[in-house]
Amino acid sequence: MTGTNAVNAAAADFQVREIPVLLGGDPVALKDWAASWQTRRVLGYVVVIFAGAGMYGAAMGYWRSPVQAGYNLVKFPLIVLATTLGNALLNGMLAPLLGLDLRFRQSLMLVVMSFTIAAAILGSFAPIVFFIVWNIPPLANGMQVPSPTYSFVLLLQVVLVAFAGVAANVRLQRLLGALSGSDRIARKVLFSWLAGNLFLGSQLCWIFRPLIGSPGLPVEFVRPNAFQGNFYEAVFRAIGQLFSS
Amino acid sequence: MNDPITPPLIAAPVPSAGPIRTAPSLPLGEGPDERAPIPSVIAAIESILRQPRRVLFQLRQPGAGRLIAAMLLVSVVCSLTYGFVVGTFSNGVQLWAAPLRIALGLLISALVCLPSLYIFSCLGGSQARLIEVVGLVAGLLLLMTVLLIGFAPVAWVFSQSTGSVAAMGALHLAFWFISTCFGIRFLNAGFAHHSHSGDGLKVWIAIFLLVMLQMSTALRPIVGTADTLLPEGKKFFITHWVDSVKGK
Repeated sequence: MTGTNAVNAAAADFQVREIPVLLGGDPVALKDWAASWQTRRVLGYVVVIFAGAGMYGAAMGYWRSPVQAGYNLVKFPLIVLATTLGNALLNGMLAPLLGLDLRFRQSLMLVVMSFTIAAAILGSFAPIVFFIVWNIPPLANGMQVPSPTYSFVLLLQVVLVAFAGVAANVRLQRLLGALSGSDRIARKVLFSWLAGNLFLGSQLCWIFRPLIGSPGLPVEFVRPNAFQGNFYEAVFRAIGQLFSS
Repeated sequence: MNDPITPPLIAAPVPSAGPIRTAPSLPLGEGPDERAPIPSVIAAIESILRQPRRVLFQLRQPGAGRLIAAMLLVSVVCSLTYGFVVGTFSNGVQLWAAPLRIALGLLISALVCLPSLYIFSCLGGSQARLIEVVGLVAGLLLLMTVLLIGFAPVAWVFSQSTGSVAAMGALHLAFWFISTCFGIRFLNAGFAHHSHSGDGLKVWIAIFLLVMLQMSTALRPIVGTADTLLPEGKKFFITHWVDSVKGK
């Protein structure tokens, strides 16, 4: 019996040793996990999302203040879970329409699995991010952070989040390919899910701002004007200012 | 250890469960799944998403009227629900006015375009009976509105976060367009079993889209507020969009 199949045998419960199998993205093993909804396993994934995304968010927020780190510990996983649930119905409808006959729970399970992979990767980066922000001037009131340092940290966040996202989605695509038997269908389903999740996820990040925070503004769980404006208006405004200046 | 005899938990794709295809690979009713009756509204929603060929087959059977009525009923409920989400942008009167406008707009657009669809299908050499054509339009509306419900949580998040009527209008328009594309695929698949000539259908689809867009202007405001319940004066939908962007 292989290691993978040993994990298959204990299908009913989520075990920590499932995480390496999940990260490995072996479609043969993951196909069975995605096929059946097991509450304990889903709860296990939620715990991994809370731990991984939470720790990464906390490390990032620590740059601004320990309180911001505490807030991010909760906010990051909430954004991930709200994105998953907010798009669950749509993702469940798009999969069969694009050629992959998944039940609603199966599509939800697949999205949760891919977010779990991303969260586990992000969680593993948390000590690195923490080490980096520990070694640079804090983003606290009255402190001056050199521009190259600020840019480096922001770029690092982008690279790490992008890496986790790409790694998770490559595994999801392989799994979708195995389930549908067609790379074309897998790509279409993945693209539609990604587009929806990015669209809603960006707005939820906007609502749950600040995630790092600005030195001139207080540390808060959410801004009092959390629901004023949206991510895309801000992007368009920024582009407009860029061209008008 | 994996047992090679154990059937896979997720079955391999079969034609009835696959995406909506415009080319009829097999005659309708070939698979036993397709012959299964659709006994409830939930089954109708499931079938239109997963087994569109089952719906197409059932629309050709005697007593298809009940299925059509069920599909129309669900379409109305779904459009009222999505309309309520649209109404949360402005609250007040729009909480009931926007759902009514959207549901009425969809039904009237379908009614206005139904005769031309039947004529176009006959011109294309289709043998489809009028009730089948009505059923295909009902299926289009059902798929469209069910998908709009899928978009509803996203629409709600944005409607709470922006004050821009133009931005919300554009977002709802994008959701409507995506949903309509899937609905039209269903319609195409239905007619593909009747006729190979799709040119008339393409013209009809363009007309149907224009009618729905103009209906959204005729029943304005769907997003935002107005002094009167019904619009004062007539406007072409592009003029209305330009005015909305300018904030008039």
